[in-house]
Formats: sequence, structure tokens, C-alpha cells
Amino acid sequence: MSENINITNSEKNMKNFWYADWSFPIFVSLLSAGVFAGTHMYYVYHIGAFNDVAIVAMLQAGMEGAGYGAAAAFGASFLFARILEGSLVGILDIGGSIQTGLGIGVPALLLGAGITAPIESFVLSLLTGALLGIIIGYVIIGLRKFTVGRSNSTFGADIMMGAGNSSGRFLGPLIIISAASASIPVGIGSIIGAALFYAWKKPIAGGAILGAMILGAFFPIEL
Amino acid sequence: MEFMIILIKSAIIGALVGVGAGAGAARMFHAPTVQGMGAFRTLGELNACAGDAASHFSFGLGFFFNAWASSVGAGAFTQDVDHRIIPNWAAAVLLRKGKKPEETLHDPKKMGIAGGIIGVIIVVFLNSTASAIPESLQAIAVKVLVPAANLLINPVMPVIFWLAALDAGKRSGIWGTIFGGLAHIIMGNAVPGVVLGILIGKGVDDGGWTKITKNLLTAVILLFALSAFFRGFDINLIKSFHLDVPTWLINIHEMLGQEVK
Repeated sequence: MSENINITNSEKNMKNFWYADWSFPIFVSLLSAGVFAGTHMYYVYHIGAFNDVAIVAMLQAGMEGAGYGAAAAFGASFLFARILEGSLVGILDIGGSIQTGLGIGVPALLLGAGITAPIESFVLSLLTGALLGIIIGYVIIGLRKFTVGRSNSTFGADIMMGAGNSSGRFLGPLIIISAASASIPVGIGSIIGAALFYAWKKPIAGGAILGAMILGAFFPIEL
Repeated sequence: MEFMIILIKSAIIGALVGVGAGAGAARMFHAPTVQGMGAFRTLGELNACAGDAASHFSFGLGFFFNAWASSVGAGAFTQDVDHRIIPNWAAAVLLRKGKKPEETLHDPKKMGIAGGIIGVIIVVFLNSTASAIPESLQAIAVKVLVPAANLLINPVMPVIFWLAALDAGKRSGIWGTIFGGLAHIIMGNAVPGVVLGILIGKGVDDGGWTKITKNLLTAVILLFALSAFFRGFDINLIKSFHLDVPTWLINIHEMLGQEVK
């Protein structure tokens, strides 16, 4: 971090660095290190995963013993698709590639294989993320040499994005259904929370969870 | 003590993510000449704010509250922290006093620094408030969330992606169906297969059977084959047709350290 600030203080003649192809892997690496360490935070403290509730929940399902297969396959396929698309269109989608692919898919792959060290240790998680980020960055720059200007297809990324967004919308009602099956007070809490969030024009999933938590604090459910 | 550790870790994470997301977002304005990172919707939204600091700030704020609720409830930041909040708030900081977007928002250096600072503040804030929530409350959130997520993973998401593939044209529909079905048999979830089916189908629709799409198909088949092998699917397949598993196949599996039942 401090190194970056020092570079910027030495005036604008470093401009090449900020725009060059060769520096792209460095930026990907910084972001990847942070996102991967975010997953470490989630694994250890249950906070701070850089992703949507629906996708983090896949990892959670694995941590609860339901198997990491879904999270690994889902994340890895997104990573694959986004790397291709990113090199073709010139914009790497960090949601699919880094946050879902690297932040959820890769940890799920590792945990599924019984390798826990890179996720349990903060320093190792930073290093793993940084290294994988560099690799992803170089793959994209490498692919660019072959693909730029040769293909104008987005490989259906818009369709996948649309499907991804509409599945996110399903989560709200599913949470209310799940809360309503857990216990009556928790269910009522989630209904009120979701209705209020909808009235405030916020995604109802957040309201449903908060409502369930508040009522659950007064009327605990057996865990 | 643990709280301090969380704060320090959060600050490091926030700085790393902020610099990457900020610089990547600024580079998007120079794509495709320069390789950027972020998302098309992020680029569109940044443009929509038309260089007005207040618009950038309030746009980010709307998503910030949502991210906060999600962090407190489920420990998940939402993707919007990287996609929307950091780029827009970094832009808001840089654009104050009526500076021009071309000299600020489009400059990876300035956006990288501003993003780094914003990143530290956001991640530290979200994590410190989320970690202050008692564990019993988080347990409830998890208890409610996991069954909902399991339903979402299977069957809701496969169906949504599958229908999207079928609606996207003949090729996507056929490849999506084949790979989706196989993915469920082999990996236990159809989504990756359907996604790859869309990828191939739309790739061929737009550009024909070029070298890229052929390599893509080969890579996908290889991915499926390897995944099937390492999950012992090949042996289960032979067994379920009531055939004898050849010894050499079992030997290969055992050679790679896998147990064969």
C-alpha cells in the first residue's frame, strides 16, 4: 500500500504503469489478495466475505458439512467464463471472476480437498490470493494477444448475468419460507422485515434476515 | 484482543481491495485499448452519474446500507462493495469542488489511491459492526439462511439458468441441456454445465466454429472428463450398468491415491 502511494507522489511520469498491460496482473493481484483474505475472515470469524448472501451461503453449506461441490463448481465455472469474456471485451467482471470464482470457488475447491491452511491463516490467504490473482491477470493479458479484435462475441455473458440476477431475486422469498419453517416468531419477524425493506425499496432478503434475527433474539429457536 | 486483530486485518483487506477496484474501474474508461476490471454495469452507472459528486455519493450510499444489513445479518458484504460502493465513493471524493471526470474518475492513479482509502474505511466499518453482533444472533441467521441457500442452489438456480439457456436460442438450449444434465450427474449441480453450454452456444452463434470456440469445447469436455474421473464417476457409471470394473481402471485410480469401493 505505502509503496503505491510513494510511486504516485513521484509525479506523473509513472503514468505508463497505471495504464500498461503488464501492470494489469498487479491490480488483479491486489484485489484478489483482499477478496481471498475476505473469505478467510468469513471462515474464521463469520464476517467479511466479499459476495452476495446467496453465494456465500453455498460456502456456508459446505462448512456445515453438506459438501463443497456446488460452491466449487459454481465458482470455478464463473471464473473460467469471466476470464474468457474479460480478455475479449477489455473489462474483467470482478464479480464473477474474483469475488465468486476466486473468493468462493477456489476456497471451496481447497476445503473440499481437505486443504485448510490457505484459508485458516491470514498471511497465507493474502499470499494465495495474490499469487492466483497474478496468474489470472497474466492469463487475461495472454489471451488478449490472441483474441482482441478477432471475436466480437460476449459468449452469452449477458444471458448468464441475467440468469444470475434473477436467481438472486429468488433468495428473498426463499429466506422467508425458510424462516417461517424454523419457528412462528422467526417467521413473523422475517415477514415484517421483508415488507419494510420492500416499502423502502431495498432488496427484501436483507430485511427478512434482520427481522428473523431480531425476533429470534427474543424467542430463540433450538439450534 | 480479537477485535483489534479483526480491525487490523480489515484495514489491510480494505486497502488491497480498494486500490484494485478503484484503479480497475478507472481503467475501464479506456477499454478495450487498456484492460480494465469492474463490470459493464459499473461503467454504465459511473457514466450515469455524469460527474456529479453528490450523485456518486448517494448512489453508493443506497448500496452501502444494503451491504451493511447483509454484513450484520450473514457476514456477506454483497458484491456491491467492490462493484458500486468503492468506485462511486472514490469518484465522489475526487469529483468534489467540481473537478472534471476526465482528470479524476478516468485516472487509475487517483482512483486507486482514493479507492484504497475508501476501502479501508468501508471494510473496517462493516467488519467491526458485524463482529459486534452476538454469536447467538448470527446462529439464527445461519439457521434461516442455509436451508434457503440449499433450495436456491438446487433446484432454483439450475432451473433459472436452464430456462435462460433454452430462451437464448437453439444452440445454447441444446448444449446447455446436454452439459447441464451431465453436470448434475457428475458434479451434483447442473449450473456449471448450463453456464458452459450457454458459453459455447452463444460463442458459436456469434462467431461460428472458430479456433476459439473449438478450443473452448475441447476445454469443457476435458473439464468434465477430469472432474468425472476424480470423483470416481467412471467406476460408478460402469457399476450402475451392472458391468465389471476392469482392474486396470481401479489401478489407475489407486495409483493417484484414490480409494475405490
